[in-house]
Amino acid sequence: MKLVQFASITKKMALAAVGLFLLVFLPVHMGINLCILREDGGEWYRNACHFMGTNYIVKIFEMVLMATILLHIGVAIVLTIENWMARPVRYKVVSKSKTHFMSRYMIWTGGIIGCFLILHFINFYFVKLDIVEGKYTAEIEEVDSFFQQKAKKMQSGELGEKEQAVLVAQYQALSQLPEGKLDKSGKSLVNLSKEEVKKYCGEDFEAEPDFYTMCKEFFKNKYYSLIYLLCFVALAFHLMHAINSLAQTFGLNHSKYNKVIENFAIGFAIIVPLGFALIPIAILFLGF
Amino acid sequence: MNLTLKIWRQDNAKSKGRFQTYKVTEISPETSFLEMLDILNEGLVDKVEHPVCFDNDCREGICGMCGLYINGRPHGCDDGVTTCQLHMRKFKDGDVITIEPWRARPFPIIRDLVVDRSAFDKIIQEGGYVSVTTGGVPDGNAIPIPKKQADQAMDSASCIGCGACVASCKNASAMLFVGAKVSQLALLPQGKPEAALRVQAMVAKMDALGFGNCTNTYACEAECPKEIKRSNIARMNREFLCAKTCSEE
Amino acid sequence: MSTLNSKIPQGPLSEKWTRYKAEQKLVNPANKRKLDVIVVGTGLAGASAAASLGALGFNVKIFCISDSPRRAHSIAAQGGVNAAKNYQNDGDSVGRLFYDTIKGGDYRAREANVHRLAEVANSIIDQCVAQGVPFARDYGGLLDNRSFGGAQVSRTFYAKGQTGQQLLLGAYSALSKEIKAGTVKMYERREMVELVMKDDRARGIITRNLSTGELERHSAHAVVIATGGYGNVYFLSTNAMNCNGSAAVQCYRKGAFFANPCYVQIHPTCIPVHGDKQSKLTLMSESLRNDGRIWVPKNIDDSVAIREGRMKPTDIKEEDRDYYLERRYPAFGNLVPRDIASRAAKERCDAGYGVGTGQAVYLDFKTAIERLGAEKVEARYGNLFQMYEKIVDENPYETPMMIYPAVHYTMGGLWVDYELQTTIPGLFAAGEANFSDHGANRLGASALMQGLADGYFVLPYTVQNYLSDQIHTPRLSVDSPEFMEAEKSVKERMEKILSIKGTKTVDTLQRDLGHIMWEKVGMGRQREGLLEAIPLLAKLKNEFWSNVRVTGDLCSMNPELEKALRLADHIELAELMARDGLQREESCGGHFRLEHQTEEGEAKRDDENFMFVGAWEYKGEMAEPALHKEVLNYEFIHVQQRNYK
Repeated sequence: MKLVQFASITKKMALAAVGLFLLVFLPVHMGINLCILREDGGEWYRNACHFMGTNYIVKIFEMVLMATILLHIGVAIVLTIENWMARPVRYKVVSKSKTHFMSRYMIWTGGIIGCFLILHFINFYFVKLDIVEGKYTAEIEEVDSFFQQKAKKMQSGELGEKEQAVLVAQYQALSQLPEGKLDKSGKSLVNLSKEEVKKYCGEDFEAEPDFYTMCKEFFKNKYYSLIYLLCFVALAFHLMHAINSLAQTFGLNHSKYNKVIENFAIGFAIIVPLGFALIPIAILFLGF
Repeated sequence: MNLTLKIWRQDNAKSKGRFQTYKVTEISPETSFLEMLDILNEGLVDKVEHPVCFDNDCREGICGMCGLYINGRPHGCDDGVTTCQLHMRKFKDGDVITIEPWRARPFPIIRDLVVDRSAFDKIIQEGGYVSVTTGGVPDGNAIPIPKKQADQAMDSASCIGCGACVASCKNASAMLFVGAKVSQLALLPQGKPEAALRVQAMVAKMDALGFGNCTNTYACEAECPKEIKRSNIARMNREFLCAKTCSEE
Repeated sequence: MSTLNSKIPQGPLSEKWTRYKAEQKLVNPANKRKLDVIVVGTGLAGASAAASLGALGFNVKIFCISDSPRRAHSIAAQGGVNAAKNYQNDGDSVGRLFYDTIKGGDYRAREANVHRLAEVANSIIDQCVAQGVPFARDYGGLLDNRSFGGAQVSRTFYAKGQTGQQLLLGAYSALSKEIKAGTVKMYERREMVELVMKDDRARGIITRNLSTGELERHSAHAVVIATGGYGNVYFLSTNAMNCNGSAAVQCYRKGAFFANPCYVQIHPTCIPVHGDKQSKLTLMSESLRNDGRIWVPKNIDDSVAIREGRMKPTDIKEEDRDYYLERRYPAFGNLVPRDIASRAAKERCDAGYGVGTGQAVYLDFKTAIERLGAEKVEARYGNLFQMYEKIVDENPYETPMMIYPAVHYTMGGLWVDYELQTTIPGLFAAGEANFSDHGANRLGASALMQGLADGYFVLPYTVQNYLSDQIHTPRLSVDSPEFMEAEKSVKERMEKILSIKGTKTVDTLQRDLGHIMWEKVGMGRQREGLLEAIPLLAKLKNEFWSNVRVTGDLCSMNPELEKALRLADHIELAELMARDGLQREESCGGHFRLEHQTEEGEAKRDDENFMFVGAWEYKGEMAEPALHKEVLNYEFIHVQQRNYK
């Protein structure tokens, strides 16, 4: 009868525990995202992305996060199938019982969020994993030191003819840098395609994804923006019940604190998705 | 009042059921829902047809025997009542009423609207008691119990085992039923010695019988005729967590 | 005429039970496993007996008419359970509980049994507390009490308005524990349809599986009947739909004497009847009489105006209200015993002062709300008020409740001796199914006490005493001729009912029976009425066996057949009730003969000629039953006129 032979409450608590972890991650992600809205040409945001993309502790967390997401989805699917199996013959009349707001639809709002994650990964995360091509950024300083190394090698005659030609071409390209490829502070090359990375930074230069530019470009597309906004609404609905449910699952139900938990859930479920939603709204409607 | 009834008819556990439509006429608003079905049945017997089987006994809302899924709600459209306490004044002339049996894998249909709820007894048999035998117990006043706690235990104990919680839950979960019993005994000093064993055994049985998992939709709380609160489920979760992590059992 | 031996132990009253226990024979544990006991019924008495016998080590089979023992109608008892704990220091004692119960029963109960009941009552409270029954407590954490009709002390323990439920769930939990341990086997959705005898001893039963219609044979060394009372003979009563006296009648037909069938308790505080399609009456706990005041208008014109809807009860001024119980019984006021309160209500309504449909009086909480505040009243009676509002659609905080007496409890039942054994060896009866402890009237909160006393603290001793000389009796095979014969006769009876295919539904005939009984053998009885009832019942019996229509078949769930079988037995029982009422030329407790009343309209007993238990013996289908008398000797109590003034 049961797909997974843990006690129902154990499974439920597992779902809630990983959910809690995801819940903590959301404000962090939102905080970084909101840096986009700072009028510094993306400096803060790029710095944050740089930190998140290179710090080893963050990388470990990233793996844990991925596992958590998969676990959350996995347990949710198992529970849902078991729950469907518990009522093989459905009622003819749709239930009219009062239930906690959106609690009936957790698997559906969760499903929407899952689909969103796939889209979101294709749009952004896979760029980082180099599965999908995006836009890239490189600090001038790094490009320069990379160039200097090669130049030294050329001087000492270690490079072949072909490689020498490439280096010269790169030098020429850099000196004729088109508009918009340099950030506000002039410290980084931005908005580079893969081709351009090769062209300006060298064949084997490892450029970081330029999420700032990608983001701004991306949300100018109103369809994508709209899809994202809808998904944030789903997230809000999901969270609204999730936080409440989490407390109940861990037995935190007390007449003195129930109101606090309920209000916190509403607050969190509105503020966090709204934080995410501000970016497409700002870009699309405010021409940011 | 004249009403159209769409009632689930099924000859026995194995046969295939179907909805059948009946008309009842001149029902007084003072009639209870089950008396309305009595009237229907008397009419059916007059026509030499099989009357509709439905469970009922005390007809005052305490035995928990009756239980019909009426227009999408267990025990019908009134709050805090059992089917037998539902009165026809809650309906309007000309209404179409769909009556279904409780639907859940652990509650197989016996006939028509009668389901087998012995799964509940099986859960209780796993630990819904204090293991005392007759005689040899201390004086009733030997252990004082704070009034608030005794009252809370009473609220949990008022469960009538009707199964509306399971019937209303989209997952057919029995958490409110089990939670109420676990809570009652966890709140009382008499139940403490076996608390850790009890919660684990009862939850294991509940799972084994094929009840669904709780997803905290709280439909059970909304439909419970005795208005048993979901805090009972929370308390059971707490008890379960403690039992798994802290107890030796 | 066989003499009835009540087997009361020798010695002073307070030592009888102690002496019995000391002298009874025991069965050693190895032999207990070889002995089977059948318990029919899972209410307070049945569940507690099965649990206790199972715990002792006997092989117990318990039969439940519903889907779970928790449905038994004991669950509906609201008020409480009595015990002489004297926690309130108000002068209570075992002796006083004993005295109150005897007096409340109008001196028609057996002294020794009642004293034993009072003795073990305290253990019931302890036992239930240990089981986790959440009795009401005061702020100090100790058990709370309230007062009940017929007593001047606070000795009633309660759990909100659901005491019966909580005690039953306690017994059910004890039973569940034994089922888990394997000492008790549960058979749910089974109805006993016949008693099986061998060598004049009860040796088993035939049951019908109500889910499948199958007949099943079960053998045992002893059978305990705990199937409750027969109030449903009246059709409209506070009993549950499945309550029936059928099992007791089956035993009666097999030779068990049926005692005091005419003693029927009419409960004063029920919700009045609203129409002819009503299926049952709902009781409002007697505890309401603690704070509620019962009245009707003083002027008959006001009553008429209220009935015609021209006036509301709240329009009637204080001085125009007749608080008739307080007027007539100043000492006990609204807390007079049930029979007195019921008759007083009927008297007022018959005199034309009734309200509502004319068959109702007011139970008013105005004074209580003024005195205690609505909040406190809600804390005490909230769930009852809510229940009333759900049924009647009126708010009892604003307008007085309407109440009227209804059949509630039957003091009569299978005749049992001190050991709760019927006249058939090996057949025991417990709880409401026996006649033993309440005499002619039961006091409030005593039913729960008696059911549990029988089950927890009496039967485990007395059944063991009986079984001690049965250890060499081998198990009776269910394929033995006795079983085959019994099953055959039951089957024939059922087939006969199904083959009648007449024109009248079971419900119609049941309503007819109820009508006859309420009119002729109801609250106030008269010789003429009783004499008329007997041929009317014979006619009804004839009508049943020639013109009933039962649809469906034997071998599937068939509630119509179930009802028909019970009705057939109820008609027989009704006749017995009428006969018993007729022979008892006196008024006592629940049996009120209009010919025998004092000038003030109170019950007038005839202790000279009727201080006996009337036990009826079945003499065959066509023959009249024979009356046996167990004379009641009051050695310890001074018998006097019951006076609650």
